[in-house]
Amino acid sequence: MDKLAVLITTPPYSNLTVTAIDYIEAALRLNVNIVGVFFYQDGALHANSNIHIASDEYQAVAKLTQLHQEFGLALHLCITAAEKRGIACDALSEGSAININPIFTVSGLGELVSLTTNSTRLVQF
Amino acid sequence: MTTNLLAIINSSAPYNRNLGKESLDVALIFASFEQGVSLFFQGDGVYQLIDQQNPQKISAKDYLKTFSAFEFYDIEDIYICQESLTVRNLSESFHIDNVQVLPPETFAKHLAMHQQILRF
Amino acid sequence: MSILHLIRSSAFHRSDFEQCLSIAQSNDTIIFCDDGCYNLSHPLTTNLLAQENKLTIKVLQDHAQARAIIAPQTIEGITMEDLVSLTFTHDKVITWQ
Repeated sequence: MDKLAVLITTPPYSNLTVTAIDYIEAALRLNVNIVGVFFYQDGALHANSNIHIASDEYQAVAKLTQLHQEFGLALHLCITAAEKRGIACDALSEGSAININPIFTVSGLGELVSLTTNSTRLVQF
Repeated sequence: MTTNLLAIINSSAPYNRNLGKESLDVALIFASFEQGVSLFFQGDGVYQLIDQQNPQKISAKDYLKTFSAFEFYDIEDIYICQESLTVRNLSESFHIDNVQVLPPETFAKHLAMHQQILRF
Repeated sequence: MSILHLIRSSAFHRSDFEQCLSIAQSNDTIIFCDDGCYNLSHPLTTNLLAQENKLTIKVLQDHAQARAIIAPQTIEGITMEDLVSLTFTHDKVITWQ
């Protein structure tokens, strides 16, 4: 059985991210089992709910939300990468208001190890 | 012959961007979960290995010094693209030992032995 | 053993494609996507096509068309679904970006 893990490293305002999401959607249309998507480097910015993209531009997070709800697509966030990019996810975040988008699961790089070992293909975007 | 799960290609110079450090973090986590990882240095990535660097001069974190812990993490398969060194007029003088400088064909052959490949 | 290479940057600007070519093997497939589509007219590609080898090049059709690039007839234009299928007909994927 083909199992796919996807690593996203580009921010929500980049057209490179459109490619990643188009790829994921195509995989879902082909009934590929996606074990999870891991957001690392600038990819972590997807979880920052303070980022607002003009409504006439591509809405990466809205698309991810739809895929998460419709297909149960697992969205894992590297918390170290996220904190560096202004995302506060719990009460320990030193006075910052919590601004993590709840569709994301707070993870560490250990989750990337687990996605890699549980998949037959790892594709980086 | 390696049975390592993951190969990481490092292709970025160490300081302008954070890619080298982010790549190192991935390598160390795979190793600490006892998943074999091999490191490949190609293109500007070879600058991560050059001896006698002084990152404190530019207030950069000296993450390269963590490379000396590779042995402790059982990261033993470290390959450097010879062509990338030659093109940059670099000698084989690195800040870590136990690295292998390989011509592109051998470099490619070692890379192909891994199940998954990431590049930073 | 075969590798699927995703080329996402222009070789006029960055050396990712050149580095890919230095390790690509004859049964590998190269996919131009994103700004990698600009490589269709790069000398590296022209030279590659002039050689007798089994290295296959394909391009994401929509990504080329978005950039007003017309792929030569020798290079197949593919869809995103094709790319997903190629992911599993090759042993692994390397993203050059």
